[in-house]
Amino acid sequence: MNQKRWLTLLGLVVMVSIMLVAGCGSEVATDEAPDAEADNGGIEEDVAAETSSIMIAGSDSEVNLVTRLAEEYMNANPNVSIAVTGGGSGVGISSLIDGDVDIANSSRPMKDEEIDALKANQGEDVYAVRFAVDGVAVVINENNPVSELTVDQIGAIYRGEITNWSAVGGEDLEITLYGRQSTSGTYVFFMEKVVQADYSPEMRNLAGTSDIVEAVTGDVGGIGYAAIGYATKDGIKAINVKADDNASAYDPTVLENVTSGNYALTRPLYQYVSGKPSSAILEFFLFEVSEEGQNIVLDEGFYPITAADLDFNKDALE
Amino acid sequence: MHSRTELIMKILFWASGIAIILFLVGILFTLLSNSIPALGEIGIGSFFTSGLWRPGAYGEPTYSINNFILGTFMVTVGALAFAVPMGVAAAAYLAEIASPWEREFFKPIVEVLAGIPSVVLGFIGLVVLAPLIARFFNIPSGINALNGAILVGIMALPTIITLAEDAITAVPKEYRHASLALGGTQWQTIWKVTVPAAFSGITAAAMLGMGRAIGETMTVLMVTGNMIARPESFLDSVRTLSANIAIEIGDVAFGSVHFHALFVVGLVLFIITFIVNLLADILIHRKPEVNK
Amino acid sequence: MQILNSGIRKTDKMENNLNPNFACETNDSGNSYCEVQVEGLNFYYGSKQALFDVNIEVKEKGVAALIGPSGCGKSTFLRVLNRMNDLIPGTRLEGRINVHGEDIYDPSTDVVELRKKVGMVFQQPNPFPKSIYENVAYGPRIHGLKNREKLDQIVEESLKGGALWDEVKDRLHDPALALSGGQQQRLCIARALAVQPRILLMDEPTSAIDPIATQRIEDLVRELCQEYTIIIVTHNMQQAARISDFTGFFLQGEMVEWGETSQIFTKPQDQRTEDYITGRFG
Repeated sequence: MNQKRWLTLLGLVVMVSIMLVAGCGSEVATDEAPDAEADNGGIEEDVAAETSSIMIAGSDSEVNLVTRLAEEYMNANPNVSIAVTGGGSGVGISSLIDGDVDIANSSRPMKDEEIDALKANQGEDVYAVRFAVDGVAVVINENNPVSELTVDQIGAIYRGEITNWSAVGGEDLEITLYGRQSTSGTYVFFMEKVVQADYSPEMRNLAGTSDIVEAVTGDVGGIGYAAIGYATKDGIKAINVKADDNASAYDPTVLENVTSGNYALTRPLYQYVSGKPSSAILEFFLFEVSEEGQNIVLDEGFYPITAADLDFNKDALE
Repeated sequence: MHSRTELIMKILFWASGIAIILFLVGILFTLLSNSIPALGEIGIGSFFTSGLWRPGAYGEPTYSINNFILGTFMVTVGALAFAVPMGVAAAAYLAEIASPWEREFFKPIVEVLAGIPSVVLGFIGLVVLAPLIARFFNIPSGINALNGAILVGIMALPTIITLAEDAITAVPKEYRHASLALGGTQWQTIWKVTVPAAFSGITAAAMLGMGRAIGETMTVLMVTGNMIARPESFLDSVRTLSANIAIEIGDVAFGSVHFHALFVVGLVLFIITFIVNLLADILIHRKPEVNK
Repeated sequence: MQILNSGIRKTDKMENNLNPNFACETNDSGNSYCEVQVEGLNFYYGSKQALFDVNIEVKEKGVAALIGPSGCGKSTFLRVLNRMNDLIPGTRLEGRINVHGEDIYDPSTDVVELRKKVGMVFQQPNPFPKSIYENVAYGPRIHGLKNREKLDQIVEESLKGGALWDEVKDRLHDPALALSGGQQQRLCIARALAVQPRILLMDEPTSAIDPIATQRIEDLVRELCQEYTIIIVTHNMQQAARISDFTGFFLQGEMVEWGETSQIFTKPQDQRTEDYITGRFG
């Protein structure tokens, strides 16, 4: 009887210990930066073995691309380990402000309040790198006969003012709006650039780009927006966008349209760091903007940075 | 020695009990204290006026959660509407009709169903169920309340089946004997005597299922579309209270009004769940127990 | 199940353990009008034999009591008569059981109909957790009666038959479980009567009830036996002596003696019977 009690006691203690350890351990997003609050979100260097680790989080539009870049970089540099997660540009930026990650992927520029918050939290300035160019595609179902729209029309559709495809030259079919959630940089970019007001309350707020692609694939009347790297899939197509009624319609899948800026929904893709980048992080950035890195960008369906972007990067990379 | 061990055990168990109470009080306190700034600044009324939830609006922010309460309600009720009858029927089958071999086969399956992660079900809902719903009802999109209700129902099923089966098995066999001795068939006995006699246990099962359904976040987030407008039918997209918190907590600025408003949503959710549990308790104790 | 296959026989001479003065008559069309006729019954729970060559004939109407020490097969025997043993897996029997002239173990027997004809009251009162009305109405309802007025009528008649009507007529929709033990048992009797049986099997119906309530039920049994055939298993010899017309003594699965109650209790023919009655064992 006594023995049974001891066993029960032991079991209880083990269980509670496990829960405590698990609870403490899971709190931090990165295991490699335990004193994140006090740090500059910096890199941990193990001098003895010379390994570094970099934690990246944020934009869902960028996550596949950055993961690929990281993999190629790690193949060539086995002493660096890079972890990439998504969550949305907003989540990446919050994590950067809190010091939980080294690099924030963001498909929109950081807001002033966010820059101030980071300075307040960590005493550091924000540095930005543009590493790729994106043409945000407006995607519709491949069976939808519509092929081009003006930015204004798209805005009206997403504000809920136009609700039927027949009003824009399509069939008599109700339009179903698909969009992202407020954590998404693409959501913010699209809202500011195209909608220029609140999104229609009827819009479905989906979690990620792939969800939008799935939804539009299954819905003949659907419309969505997605980074160009995701838009060239079976089942959907990207429409050609006209800046206004008089302009030409540009296809976002054509490189020159986007790099020249003729495609109306072009935007640079950002990565943000806290404090001027150095050592491993700087090396990784330099890789991304190198010829090799930019080839990977192209391969993933995005576009290479322009001269203007290189100029912008000078601040962070030199 | 003996009495010392006893004392230590007593203290440990007492401490565990106290800890649980502290957890609950702590959670409630956190919810309340973090909700108060929003309630103060926005006013409790504006959470319940008709309108939309738009804290990040282009113009004036609004904080109405009515549509979310409706969304939670629709998904929960929809889920129970199909999970309770199906669960009770399955439980009756397992308890009364299945052969031991069939029972051995069935029960592990139910347990596996219970273990499927909600995100996996959400994925299935998005990729498999949504097109099916769209085709069946001839509507453009299957990303709606019905989809969420079905998946949440599937998640609640194992809980309901297990508890209802326990309740049905616990019905004294004297009732069955009495029914059979009066010339009742096995079928009549099950549906007119055994299952009704297990009513309080079955209600408990349904209530637990309901509690599961109300708070379900991940799956619902993936398949209901999360539209902020008021839904017009089950075939329309909805957003639930739980999904709203999950969607927005990721990038809300710490300490902002929006941040505190989300806590109000959490508080409302907590209160709804509490009321459901309270009702379940009352219901269970109202039915006269067997006096053996 | 192995069942002896024989036609309906004229019986005018009993086997050695039956009262030679008692015989079931047979009318011209060859039907015996013993309500219950059991021949050569052997009953098995799996490989264990529980009843050994039981022969019994119960006349229509009146009370037949089965006495004997516990565990000697009385309840098993009772359950043979309404086929409630079918619910226990692994049971089988040999012999021939006739109720109201029909072989009830014939493959074509409708068990539902049988149980309508042969009602049962159990040792522990077991009313359903429903209202008093619903308990009594349950039987007729499951057999298809829907007409509310007819049901009301049957409920009233059955409750009167169960000597419970006066006590509950103003609270028919109260829960049955709120009644006292004795009342619950009378309710169970009323419930059994509602399906209009010919035979009522009672398995130690008063052993879980207080003495005053027991008295009422015994009176009720004496009343009912004018219309129904009642077979009652009882642990209580005095009860058997008080209320029955015929008594059968069971010992270890065998029916040792069967005869008129007065004879069994005053001039038992078997030594074992005498020993039991005089309290030498059991």
